[in-house]
Order: sequence, then structure tokens, then C-alpha cells
Amino acid sequence: MIKFIATNKWFHNHHVLRNINLEISKGEVIVICGPSGAGKSTLLRTINKLESIDDGEIIVDGMYLSDPKTDLTALRAEIGMVFQHFNLYPHKTALKNITLAPRKVRGLGKKQATEKALKLLERVGLTHRRDAFPVQLSGGEQQRVAIARSLAMEPKIMLFDEPTSALDPELINEVLDVMVSLAKEGMTMVVVTHEIGFAQKVADRVVFMDDGEIIETGIPPDIFVNPQHPRTRNFMSSVFHIPVFGETEEEK
Amino acid sequence: MDLLDQFSNINFYLFGTFPKGEVGGLLLNIIMAFLAICFSCVFGIMLGYSRLSCRLYIKLPCIAYIELVRSTPLIMIIFWFYFFLPYLFGGNVTVFWSAVVSLCAYAAAYQAEIVRAGIMAVPKGQLEAALSTGMSRYNAMRYVILPQAFKIMLPSFVSFFVSLFKDTSVTYIIGVMELTQTGIIVSQRQPDKIYAAYLSMAIGFWVVCFTMSHLARRLEKRIGVFDLESIRPDACRDEFMLVPKTKKTGEGVDETPSCCSSDSK
Ligand SMILES: Nc1ncnc2c1ncn2[C@@H]1O[C@H](COP(=O)(O)OP(=O)(O)O)[C@@H](O)[C@H]1O
Ligand SMILES: [Mg+2]
Repeated sequence: MIKFIATNKWFHNHHVLRNINLEISKGEVIVICGPSGAGKSTLLRTINKLESIDDGEIIVDGMYLSDPKTDLTALRAEIGMVFQHFNLYPHKTALKNITLAPRKVRGLGKKQATEKALKLLERVGLTHRRDAFPVQLSGGEQQRVAIARSLAMEPKIMLFDEPTSALDPELINEVLDVMVSLAKEGMTMVVVTHEIGFAQKVADRVVFMDDGEIIETGIPPDIFVNPQHPRTRNFMSSVFHIPVFGETEEEK
Repeated sequence: MDLLDQFSNINFYLFGTFPKGEVGGLLLNIIMAFLAICFSCVFGIMLGYSRLSCRLYIKLPCIAYIELVRSTPLIMIIFWFYFFLPYLFGGNVTVFWSAVVSLCAYAAAYQAEIVRAGIMAVPKGQLEAALSTGMSRYNAMRYVILPQAFKIMLPSFVSFFVSLFKDTSVTYIIGVMELTQTGIIVSQRQPDKIYAAYLSMAIGFWVVCFTMSHLARRLEKRIGVFDLESIRPDACRDEFMLVPKTKKTGEGVDETPSCCSSDSK
């Protein structure tokens, strides 16, 4: 579904993606973690070409992203993206936030688009908030509307960039619940997150990145509990406060 | 001399010699301002939008134009077009059109800056969100970015339009028969009515400007610009005053004086 082949990217002379090779198949849930500045967001944003790459190739659902003839709107219509800061349209109600793209891109009529949006609002548990403006919604509610907005385009792939890290702790679960149910339905998902519970529950693979490189890839228990690479080990023990087996060995 | 006689020229102030002759007076100010606003909006939006381009061959001419106009007094621009337009189009350009064109050229530069600031103030994430749902750039600008930018721009636009309306009075210098000109004519021909003449000008400009601000405020309320609390006209900040008006009963800046908090919701 998504394939990175020897991808490199520079911001000026800052090498943010170093020789990325990664293949994600249909229905897979990938969690990306790593320290701040590692290039996780950049990696995610290359998938729908919000960022372009300088070298290598990315193939998404058969479309070659470095090919200038690739239709970007068609590509992006297939890929939903959820942002850390929600990025809901502040001048539109929850319902209108969801119906805008289906109406303008897919050409749905007002009635059809509204019906679909109401179904999605129901799914994220916000039917009663349909006419609220984003400022009137809590962070958790905003993020759920944002997820519904992406789903309204019926994407084949969903990208999440730290969807819960701007939320108060008590609001995180309502968002994660929606994401878990999505994962269970077989959506292909790439999620940048440090929610270890989420990763352990639904992630097929965890990718650890540091300094623009993929350091280690594996199933959640391997990466979180028994990482091989010292950089991964350091990160896991400092962020998740998990006593890492290897580290205690070294300390002795 | 009685009061009615003092203001016997009221029709001249309001409409010039209109039913018999040409439109003039306050009505002419309104027409000039209206035309200048309409044309300069189109030109100003294009200019402000292009000014944001990263392509130097688009951006630099825009900057040059904006900076040139903004560093020139309006009266110079009016003179300039007064002499320049007939040169281009032959002698048959009326002073009215030469005035409208100058006002338009002048206004566009200022509007361009308002437009630019408004678009820049919309967070980048909004465009990314719109693009990531598959919307085209055109649709993203039209339905997501510009409506938000417009809301941010509206208060600046209004205050600029009000000042542009007042600036139409400068065109008397090339002989446009607008309110100032009518007042000056009357005060020269009938010196006994000089006070009434200047008072009529003042009232005329005040009534129109006040109406414009009032209508704008209602529009702003309707489209909800006031969720930006800082630009609500009735907002006040007593705690920032060197000598606060309200005696503090409790403590802390959090406690808003009653004048600000009463019905802000
Ligand atoms: N638009 C940009 N221009 C220049 N540098 C950038 C830009 N976006 C990100 N960077 C840099 O790229 C690096 C990776 O950023 P990012 O992908 O956001 O990291 P992460 O999401 O893992 O925290 C950081 O060092 C950041 O400063
Ligand atoms: Mg990031």
C-alpha cells in the first residue's frame, strides 16, 4: 500500500530523512515513535506529499509520488490526515467541517453529504454537537470531529500526527477509542504517537526513528520492552519509564 | 438673518446642481468613494495576494507599487493622474474620472497590505488540512483560507474605507464639485453664509462616516468577528490603566471590571 524506497530529504542542508526504506501493507497499523525532531512528522507528511522528497521514491496505492504527473488531489483524497492541533475550520460548524470536502471534491449534494456526515458524527459520538463551532468544542471533541472529517472522504489510508499530544489526559481515551475501532475495521493506519497502550493494543509494527533514520522496526513488545539498539533503549526508558532489561544489565 | 436662510443652499451641498445640472455635493463624495472602493478592492486583493508570492518577478513589482504609493501624499497622486490621464486618453477625461482613478490607485496599495496581513494571519495548518482532504488549492483558498482572512481583515477594511471617504474631499483641488467644493464656493460667493457652509461640510462627512462604522459594526457582529476579543469595540481594559477606575474588592487581574464582562458572551 505504501512503499518507501531509499528516500532522502533535506531542509536546506539539514538531512531530515536518511535513506528510509519501509513497506506498509494494506490493513496494517504502524506506530512511529522517536524523540522530538527525529523527522516523524516529516516522514508522515511525505506520504500525502505535503512535503516532497529529494531523493528516492514513495509509492502509495500504485501512485509514484516523485512523478510530477501524479494527480495530487486524487492522491490526497485517498489519504486522511489528522493533526496534532486538529486544524478544524474555525468558521464552520462541526457538520460543515465534515461536509466541505465531500461536496467540493467528490461532488456530493448537500443532502447526501449531510447524511454521511451525521453517520460519521454518530460514529465518533458527537451527533449532539453537529451545530457547534470548533471554539465551543473541547480538545477531544475537536479531534474526533477532525477524524470524522478525514473519514468523510472514505480514505484508504489514515495518517495521524501525534493526535493526542495536545489533549488533556482525561480526553485522550475518547480519541484513542475511535482510533482503535478504526484499526479493528482494517484501516491502513500510520500513527505517530507515544501512547504505548494504543500501540500495544492495535499496532502490527512499531517503527523507532531518531535523527532522520529508522533505527529499529518490530512488533510492539520487542520495541517497547526488549529493544535491540541502545538509542531505542535510552528513549524508551526515558519516555515511558519502563525498566528496560538491557539497561539494568549494563548498570550492574 | 434667520437660520433657514443660512442653510438655503442645502440642496447644493447635498446634490450639487443635480436635477438641472451635474451631480455634486455630498452625493458625489459618496459616488466617488463607492466606485473607488469597488475598483480598488479588486485591484487591492490581486495586489496583496500576488505580494505573497515567492516568485520575485511577481512579488517585486507589487512591493514597488505598494511602497511607491504609500510613500506619496494622496494630493500628489491626484495631481499626477490629473495631468497624466488626459495625456494618455486625449483631453476628454473629466476631473471626476481622474479623481476616481487616483483614489483607486491610492486605495489599492493600502488594501493590498490589509489583504496580505489577513491571509498571513490564517494559520498554515488550515491550508494543510484542506489540501489533505483532497481539495484543490483554489477551493482551499476560496472556502477555507479567504473566509477566515476576510474576518480578520474586516475591521481594518472598514476603518480604511471611512478614511478613504473623507479623503474624497481632497479632490476639490482639481475642481471636482464635491461637498468641500460646494462649501467653498458658497462661502466665497456669499460670505455671510461662511459658518453655515463649513458646518454643513462637517455634518455631511460626519453623518456618512458614522453610518459606515455603524453598519460595519453590525456586519461584524453578524459574521462573528468578535470572537477575537481584542477588536470588540466595547472592550476595555481597566487593569491596564495607570490609575484604574474600579476599586479592587478582591485581588488579581483576573477579576474583570464589570464594564467588560457583562454581556460579552
Ligand atoms: N519546514 C521546515 N523547514 C526547515 N526545517 C524543518 C521544517 N520542518 C521540520 N524541520 C526540521 O526537521 C526536523 C524534523 O522535524 P519533524 O519531522 O517535525 O520532527 P518530529 O515530528 O519527529 O518531531 C526538525 O529538526 C525540524 O526542525
Ligand atoms: Mg512532529
